[in-house]
Amino acid sequence: MEDRPPNEAELVARARGGELDAYEEIVRLHQTIAFRTAWVITRSAADAEEAAQDGFVKAHAALPRFREGAPFRPWLLAIVANEARNRVRGAGRHARLAQRVAEERRPDDAVPSPEAALLDSEQRALLLAAIERLPKPAREAIACRYLLDLSEEETAAALDCPRGTVKSRLARALDRLRLELAEAEA
Amino acid sequence: MTDLERRLTRLGSELHWPETPDVAARVRARLNDAMEPADGADPADVDRRPPLRRARRRLLARAGLRRSLALALVALLVLAGGVFAAVPSVRDSVLEFFGLQGATVERRDELPPAPALHRLELGERTTLERARGELRFEPLVPHAAGSPDHVFLNSQVPGGELALAYRPARGLPEAHSTGLGLLVGEFRGDLLPEYLGKIAGQATSIDRLRVDGRRAIWIEGAPHLFFYRPPDSDFAESDLRLADNVLLLQRGNLLVRLEGGFSRDRAIALARSLE
Repeated sequence: MEDRPPNEAELVARARGGELDAYEEIVRLHQTIAFRTAWVITRSAADAEEAAQDGFVKAHAALPRFREGAPFRPWLLAIVANEARNRVRGAGRHARLAQRVAEERRPDDAVPSPEAALLDSEQRALLLAAIERLPKPAREAIACRYLLDLSEEETAAALDCPRGTVKSRLARALDRLRLELAEAEA
Repeated sequence: MTDLERRLTRLGSELHWPETPDVAARVRARLNDAMEPADGADPADVDRRPPLRRARRRLLARAGLRRSLALALVALLVLAGGVFAAVPSVRDSVLEFFGLQGATVERRDELPPAPALHRLELGERTTLERARGELRFEPLVPHAAGSPDHVFLNSQVPGGELALAYRPARGLPEAHSTGLGLLVGEFRGDLLPEYLGKIAGQATSIDRLRVDGRRAIWIEGAPHLFFYRPPDSDFAESDLRLADNVLLLQRGNLLVRLEGGFSRDRAIALARSLE
């Protein structure tokens, strides 16, 4: 019999049956996106780690309520993001996206691709600064949908709002970003 | 996808995201911990429910334990105050919830009216040596603040409750709520399955943090309120009192509470000096 990695539905089914090994594998599959989603909301690595941990523990407890066959990641991100929102601190102590841009070009970018050339450091800085100036809901929508590359459904789950709201927030945010970039680059 | 959307996606791949911690190992450890039989459990009393339900039960039980820790600590500081009259109103206008596992901290538009300050009821005056003989735990002293000016023991609570009072001094400004420079509360809370709540207004900052790896909560800014729900009551919030800046720290089976008018950094330094 061929030894193949179990798919997510199998893992979820086994975890629902009480197999901790299966649940640990699920956590490994999703821990990076869960942690980063929490970080987008809290802007604190410590808070994001706690939110991710508590979210996974609560998701484990809620597995019996998970609808079989439904996509797992949006459900999970909704739980983790809710934990993250509960940890949002007062203003002024958050890490900024702009502080987290790669300072050096990565080795595999030694010969810049056309896309990499497009995103030179000045343009990246402009874009990040423009994102930071967005209102929080729009900023989080941009971060989840594009920077984290979540789907619309996952973004809606993480931000606890309908998909239509995500669409409208993104449309307004993109318009504003285009306007700001055009002014800056003029 | 538009050009701007492509640029944003590309930007996401170039960000230095914080390094992802080993969440899986820590979650696994917590779930393992929750599924272990309780210390001293009768082997004949085996929980025959499916493992997942058993784990949930243990997790909930531990949440209850943390509630008891928190409640016991608050009970140490209860004033001779009346019942909180605005019970329905305190459940309105909740803006944010913060979790301390079993305990909750709620942020509201505005705080309900609080009673006037009364004299603190901390138990019987004693010495640290005498208290050590009666407490069912080894008391911790924040050595960064020196020796306490007064020691109180409440032996009515299982395990005993200890309060260390420090007069205002350099680095320990007088707190409006207590008139003290530092008030330390300690006790084992594993015998009081109760529920603690805190209500904070918009001007109060609430942070979860770790002090040398131990879970803690720092509450700073405008005074906040405590209330609790007795275990056999549907909902009977009792007002306790207003509190100044507070650091709650879990040290093994002890909950340590540091209250004063000092800063977060000072509170953490005090917590780190507990021996």
